[in-house]
This record gives sequence, C-alpha cells and structure tokens, in this order.
Amino acid sequence: MHAHYVVIGGGLSGLAAAIRLARYNDNVLLLEKHSRVGGLNSYYYRNNRLFETGLHAITNYADKAAKQAPLNKLLRQLKISRDEIGFHQQILSEINFPDRSLIFSNDFNILLEEISEKFSPESDNFRRLVHDLDRTDPFESHPYRSARAILEDYLDDPDLIDMLLCPILYYGSSWENDIDFKQFVIMFRSLYQEGLFRPAGTIKNLLDLLVDKLNHFGGTIKLGTGVRNIIATGEKIIGVTLENGEKILCKHLISTIGLDETRSLLGTRKEVPDDRRLSFVESIFQIDKRIRDRLPQDRTCIFYSKTRPFTFEQPSTIVGYDSGVISLPFNFRDLNPDDDFIEIRTTQLANYRKWLSISRDTGQYDAMKCDHTGESCRQIEPIIGSFADGITYSDCFTPLTVERFTGKHAGAIYGSPHKISDGIIGYDNLVIAGTDQGFLGIIGSMLSGVAMVNKHILSKL
Amino acid sequence: MLAKPTASVEHSLVNVSENSMTRDDIKDLILEIIEDIDDEADFDDLDPDKPLRDQLDLDSMDFLDIVMELRKRHQLQIPEEDYPHLATLNSCTAYLEPLLKEA
Repeated sequence: MHAHYVVIGGGLSGLAAAIRLARYNDNVLLLEKHSRVGGLNSYYYRNNRLFETGLHAITNYADKAAKQAPLNKLLRQLKISRDEIGFHQQILSEINFPDRSLIFSNDFNILLEEISEKFSPESDNFRRLVHDLDRTDPFESHPYRSARAILEDYLDDPDLIDMLLCPILYYGSSWENDIDFKQFVIMFRSLYQEGLFRPAGTIKNLLDLLVDKLNHFGGTIKLGTGVRNIIATGEKIIGVTLENGEKILCKHLISTIGLDETRSLLGTRKEVPDDRRLSFVESIFQIDKRIRDRLPQDRTCIFYSKTRPFTFEQPSTIVGYDSGVISLPFNFRDLNPDDDFIEIRTTQLANYRKWLSISRDTGQYDAMKCDHTGESCRQIEPIIGSFADGITYSDCFTPLTVERFTGKHAGAIYGSPHKISDGIIGYDNLVIAGTDQGFLGIIGSMLSGVAMVNKHILSKL
Repeated sequence: MLAKPTASVEHSLVNVSENSMTRDDIKDLILEIIEDIDDEADFDDLDPDKPLRDQLDLDSMDFLDIVMELRKRHQLQIPEEDYPHLATLNSCTAYLEPLLKEA
C-alpha cells in the first residue's frame, strides 16, 4: 500500500495535522493504534455512561473578535466554525496554598487585582513581569532556561512564584519543579491571560467533529492500526511497517506519538531509560448531584499545594498527595445539566516504577488503585467539602493505564523533557508534531500539528 | 465598500483568450478566497494599496491558505520567496495576472 502522507497517532495533534494535509492534498492516511481516536483526551464507557479521559478544561479561551488568538487561528486553519465547538467558559479557578490563595478567571484583571490585594508589595513587580512576558517571543529557538530563575529576577516573595508556577507545571511541565521559560510564556498566556473553557457536550463531540472534518477533506483514518517500525534508508523515510506486518510506503511521515516513542520505531532510541519523566494518576469520582450543595459553587479548577514550598517532582511513594489539581467540571458557565450525577476529578503526581512493580500482581494492582481513589478523596475533602458518602462510581488512570492506551512511555502525559521545536530529528521527510514539539494542551498540540505541516510540507509544495 | 473598477483598459485584448482573467476577476478571486478563510473579513474601506495583513488582521498562516487555495483552484505554484508579492490587493493582482494567463 502507498499513501503520500502518513500521520502516526490519532490524538489531537495527529488529527489536526491530518486535517490540514487533507485540506490541500490527496492521499492522507492517519494511523491510530487504539480502537478510538483522541490519544490522551479520549473517552470510555462504564455502566452505559461516557467518561472522559484527560480533559479537565481547555486552555486558550478567546473571544471571537481576537482573530490572532491561538484558538481562532487554529479554527480558521482547520475550517471549523466556533458554532461547531460551543464554548462554556470557566467560572473561577483557584490556586490554594496553606493560608494563601489566588483566584483567576478568563478576565486577566481578576488575577492582577488578586495579586495587588494579597501580595501588595509585589504588585508593581508582577506588572513589570507581565509587561516583559508580553514582549517575549516564545517561538524563538532558545536552549532551556529555568522559568523559576527568571521569575526570581522579578518577584521577591517565594510563595507568589510557587503559586504562579503550580497551575502551569500541572498543566504542562515535563520538568521537575520548573519549566522551560519558553513554555512558561506559552502557558502563562494560555492559562492566565486567555483562560479555560469546555466545549459543548463531551470530548467525544469534539473528536467526532475532527474525524468528520478529516473525512470531508478526503483523508482516511485506520483505527486499531499500530506501527511496528518506521522504514528509513539513510536520512530518508520510505514508509512504515504495521504491527500486522503490512507495509505502507509514503512520501512524508508526521509522527505525533512523542520523541522517544518515534525513535523506538526508528530503532534509534537511546537505551538509557529516562527515569525522570513525570507521570500522574488521575481519578474520577461520579457523585450523586444532591451532594453538589456542599461543594464549591463557583470554582472550576483548584490547583493546590499542602506544603510550602510547593514541590512538583516524582514522589518517592506510589502517589504524591502534597499537591495536585481538583477539577469540578460542573462549574463551567451556561451548562444545562439534565443529569443525576456530577463529577469530580483529581490529578496527582505518581511514581511510574512503583506502579509498574506492583502491576505484576493484578490483585495487588487493583487494590492499590482502589486505595488511591480513597486516599485522593480524603486528601481533597478538606479543600472542597466532604463528598465520599455520595460517590456512586470511581475509577483512576495510573501511569500504566496511560501508557497502555496512549503508548506514552512511562505514562508521561507531557512527554519528553527534550523538546524539538523545529520538529526535525535528522530525516528529510519526517516531522515530529505534538507535545514533544513543545506546544502544550489541547489547543497547543493541535496548533503544533498545523504549524509543522504548514512549515515543512504545505509551504514547500 | 471597495469600489468595483469599471471596464478594464489596462490589458491588450489581443493577448487575452476567452478564459483569461481580468484584473477585476483576480481581485474578486482574492477577496473570495479571503472570505472563505475568514467569513468575518470586512472589505469595507479596504485600501488596495495597503497591506492586507494589517487591514484584515491576517497572519502568515492565513497567507499560506491564500497560496494553497490558489494552488488548489488554479494549479498555481507560488514559491515561498514570492509571498511578499501578495502583500496588498494590487500587488497580488499584478503578481498573479501573468501567472493566471499562463495557466
């Protein structure tokens, strides 16, 4: 078989790359290993209900008038209208530390006012920081710089630095306790200056829309189709061999499965295991909606740290409970819930090796998952109110779950700490897109797919 | 509203085949493509000698789409180094006129 363009990975970056290619070219083939598209942001069914994986909230909210905002650029590039998505903005989100908190929303002034009120000596420093961030081009190629070190040049209060970093690290850092400054700038804009939203319906609606777009432009998706290896001659990619042995020859290959994961398929992965990849465990609690009155009414996401200083590193225990994210997806604007249940979701740092070692015993692994959801509930109840008695169903995704369904090594959702900003890893016709290209979040990873196809393929046609 | 120029007198009828596009046709084509890229695009007060980018709030990704649409609709190959010729409506027209005649 032959396809001009092959995209590996049917996550959001792969779907976006394939739509972009198919819009202007024939013979675009998207290969997804799993039986369903979405990658990290997908869904599954339990008890006849759909549960989302991954999605808490989407960053990069922008009004229609902001034509140059990443969200609107992306929609134009994929020929998707805003009405096809449907937007539910966040109400408020909170950064919750011992004795201190900050509120932010999709109006950046709220955060500015919060900082001048609660960190008044830092108010001018923070404005100076924002002024300089606004003039920084995060897409300029630059070696790693510590965002923390740069923040320390502007701000004196270590709590404020930690509090600003906490949501940014949880929503996109593949480094411990820090993040590359370029990525910090991108995340600062997408999270604080733009803000959070949810699409109408569930992630399935968004994925169905993307699949429909790809089909409309004449692209093809093959589900349940894993790639065994990438065939290269010198610096040229010839094609791929599928897990079923079939060969597909191609002119261009776009890989969205991650840097190390792509190198594995090329047979050029360094054998030294990357132990410092950060993995997480995510829990879902389905709750009787009558409990809702006890829970925060206006908080969409809560980023918490129980300790000062805040730490963001691989825990020595199976899960680290000192910090995390609590997502309350019922607190977005203009939702019309006709449902008897609400959901609470948590994300906490996990130790991949510890999960791996107990997974040899299925019984022990399942018991540990159960212990974890219980513990996660107990850990967050002091922050949001008690809800354990209303739980009707709970589940959790360990780093092994993520690895199994998404192929991300060590279940590291934000990928490798090494980012390839130009998407090129030494082959003439292979482009890396997605998280390991350095864009973050749902909008970021889709823009990565679009930007890499534009830069390396469409503009060279 | 952008004034629709009256009958074009700029090209020699001798060289124009039935299928050839007039400058007006080319302007319409460009505006149609831009409208297709951004259905909110507002052509009122568009100055054909000023950059489209500033007036219509377009970026390099949108310009790539103009190039891609020209390729798709008229099989035109526009090399990356020629993109600056697409800056204004008039420069687009001047650049595309000979290419569309050859096509």
